[in-house]
Amino acid sequence: MESRVISMQQKNQRLALKLALAALLMFGFGYALSPFYAAFCQFLGIDRANASLTSAGAALRVEFDVNVAPEIPVTMQALDGVQVAHAGGQVRARFLLRNESDQTVYLRALPSFAPVRAAGLLQKLECFCFNAMSLAGNEQREVTVVLMVANQLPPEMGAATLSYSLQKIDPGQLRAM
Amino acid sequence: MMTSLAHPHTHSEHSAEHHAGWARWLYATNHKDIGTLYLWFAFAMFITGGVMALCIRAELFHPGMQYWQPEFFNQLTTLHGIIMVFGAIMPAFTGLANWMLPLMLGAPDMAFARMNNWSFWLLPPAAALLLISLFVPGGAPAGGWTLYPPLSAQAGMGMDLAIFSIHLLGLSSIMGSINIITTILNMRAPGMTMLKMPLFAWTSLVTAYLLIAVAPVLAGAVTMLLTDRHFGTHFFNAAGGGDPVLFQHIFWFFGHPEVYIMALPAFGIVSQIIPTFARKPLFGYVSMVYATCSIAILSFMVWGHHMFAVGMPATAQLFFMFLTMLIAVPTGVKVFNWIATMWQGSMTFETPMLFAIGFVCLFTVGGFSGLVLSIAPIDTQMQDTYYVVAHFHYVLVAGALFSLFAAVYYWLPKWTGFMYHEGRGKLHFWWSIVWFNVTFFPMHFLGLAGMPRRIPDYALQFTDFNAVASVGAFCFGLGQLLFFYNVIHTIRGGVGPAPDKPWEGGNTLEWEVASPAPHHTWESPPDIELVRRGLIAQAVEHEEEGDAR
Repeated sequence: MESRVISMQQKNQRLALKLALAALLMFGFGYALSPFYAAFCQFLGIDRANASLTSAGAALRVEFDVNVAPEIPVTMQALDGVQVAHAGGQVRARFLLRNESDQTVYLRALPSFAPVRAAGLLQKLECFCFNAMSLAGNEQREVTVVLMVANQLPPEMGAATLSYSLQKIDPGQLRAM
Repeated sequence: MMTSLAHPHTHSEHSAEHHAGWARWLYATNHKDIGTLYLWFAFAMFITGGVMALCIRAELFHPGMQYWQPEFFNQLTTLHGIIMVFGAIMPAFTGLANWMLPLMLGAPDMAFARMNNWSFWLLPPAAALLLISLFVPGGAPAGGWTLYPPLSAQAGMGMDLAIFSIHLLGLSSIMGSINIITTILNMRAPGMTMLKMPLFAWTSLVTAYLLIAVAPVLAGAVTMLLTDRHFGTHFFNAAGGGDPVLFQHIFWFFGHPEVYIMALPAFGIVSQIIPTFARKPLFGYVSMVYATCSIAILSFMVWGHHMFAVGMPATAQLFFMFLTMLIAVPTGVKVFNWIATMWQGSMTFETPMLFAIGFVCLFTVGGFSGLVLSIAPIDTQMQDTYYVVAHFHYVLVAGALFSLFAAVYYWLPKWTGFMYHEGRGKLHFWWSIVWFNVTFFPMHFLGLAGMPRRIPDYALQFTDFNAVASVGAFCFGLGQLLFFYNVIHTIRGGVGPAPDKPWEGGNTLEWEVASPAPHHTWESPPDIELVRRGLIAQAVEHEEEGDAR
C-alpha cells in the first residue's frame, strides 16, 4: 500500500515538473518572439525600419505616366514610358508637351510615386516639375526628368510608377516663381 | 486501499489544521480554507477596483475637469483594469476551483497542498505593490492595463512596482494552474473518466493549461520592459533598434487567451447551474467539451485583432479577422446548448439560475459586439473608443462577474451550511442587471459617436450618455454592498440550515457531502456506485453502460 502512495506522489510530482518546464519554455518563447518577429517581418517584406535590400546592380522597372487636367488645351506624352533602373545608376525620361491652342498657357506638373516608398529610392536630380512653365500658342516642347537610383533596391518592389499631373496656374503665379 | 491512493498527504500535510485564529489561514493547506482565502481576496480586490471605477465615473459625470488631475485619472483607469483582471476575476475563479474541484472530483484535497498555500500568499504582496505604486514619485502606471511602451518605458518607478506585481501574480497563477491540472488529471474518483467529469472541471483544466502557456509570455514581456527601462536593452526602444509594436504582439499573445481564461471558467459554472435548475442533463456534454478546447486553441491565433489599427498587411488582417469570427462557432455551440438544456426543462428561477440566465443573455450581447469588432475595417473606426469599453464590460462583468455571483449563490449553502435569503439574492440580481445595463449599454452609443476611451474630459455632445452611465455605475456599485450583506448574513446563519442537497437538480459529487462541507471530505474516494449515479443523472453515462461494468 505504501508503495502505491509513493507512486501517486511521484506521479503528481512528475506531472508538476513537466508543467513547470512548459511554463519555463513559454517564458523563453516570449523572448524568442523578438528575433522571430524581426525575421518574420523581413520575410514578409513588412519591416519598415530595416527593409530587406539587395546588393547594387538589381533592376527596378520604372513606369512614367501623365495626366492632364481637362480644362487645359495641352497634350503631354511620355516618350520613354518604361525604363529599367539599376541600383546606383540614373534614369532619364523625356516627355513631349504640345499646346493645341493659339493662347499662351501657364502650367505646372505635380509628380507622385506609387508605391510611395519608391520616392525614397528614386531621387529627382533634374525635373521639369521643379518650376512652373509657360507654353506659347501651338508651341511644342520636350522636357526631361533625371532620377538617381538608390544604391540598394528591395527585390519585392519590382516596379515603381512616377506619374505627373499637369495643372493650369495663373500667370501671376508663374511670375512669383 | 483506494483511500491512500487518492490522498497521499492526508496526515503529513494537514498539520496546519491544528492552528487556530490567524495561523489557520496563514498556514492553510486545506483546499477549502485556501479557496475561502482566494474568494475573500478577490472580493476585496473587486471592491478596490470598483471604487476606482466609481472615481472614474465621478469624473466623467460632467464634461470638464472636476475631481482628478488627468495623470491621476490615467492611473485610476490603469489600476482599475489590472486589479479587476488579475486581482478580482482570476483569483475568484482559482478560489472556486480550489473549493469545488476536490469535492466534485471525489479527491480529498488539491494535489500540492503547500504549494497551494504559496500560490495564494503571493497575491497579497502583489496587490500591495500595485497599491503602493499610487504613492511613489510619479505615481502608479498610467499607460493602460496593456502597459504599451513607449509610455510604460518612460513612466516612473510605479511602473517597476507594477512589473514586480505582475511577476508575482503570474507566478501565483502558474502554481495554481499546476495544482489544478495535477488534481484533475491524477486525482479523480474511480469511474470518473475525462469525458465524464463535471464541465466545471473541464473548463478549469483548459483554463489552467492556457495560463501555463501564456502567463510566462506576459512575464517575459514585462521583464523585457524592465530591462529596457533599467539595463540598456532595446527590445521595444525604437531609438536603439527595437520595436514598440513587438510589445503589442507579445502582450496580446498573452492577452487574448487571457480573455478566455476569464471566460471559460464562467462557461463551466453556468454549465453546472443551468442543468440543476432546469432539472435536465446538460445538452450536448461532449460538444461542450470540444467547444471549450476549440475556443482555447483558437484563442492563440487571434491576437492580431487587437492590433488592426497598428498597421498590418491586408493579408494578416484578413487572417486575424476570419479566425476571430471563427471563435463565434464554438461559442455559439455553447450558447445553443445552454438554451437547449433549458428547453422544456422544469425550470425554477432561484438566484443562481437568474444570474446564469443573465450571463447567457448579456454574454451573448458582448459576444456579438465582439463579432462587430472582429471586422477589421469596423475595428479601425472603433479602436480605442467606448464601444470597446462597452464590449469588454459586457463580457467581463455580465460574463465573468455574473457567473461568479451565480457560483457563490449556488454553492454558498454547501460552504456555510446555511441558506441565503432568496428575496435578497433576487433583489441583488435584478438590481445588478438593471444598473449594469444602464451603465454599459450607453457606452456602445458613445463609442459609435466617437468618444475615445481613457480620457478624463470629453466633448459636450457626449454629456447625456456619460451622465446616465455614471448614475448606473454608482447604483451598480451600491448593489454590491447588498451582495456583501447577503454573504455575511448567510455565514451567520442565513435563513436557516441548508440541507446537504439544497437544489433538487444537483447531481454532481459535491452535493453528496454534508452541508457545510466538512474540513476533510472524500478521505475515502466516493463509492463507484455513487459516482455512477451522478454520472447517469448528468447523462454522461447511461444505465446500461453502468450495468456492463
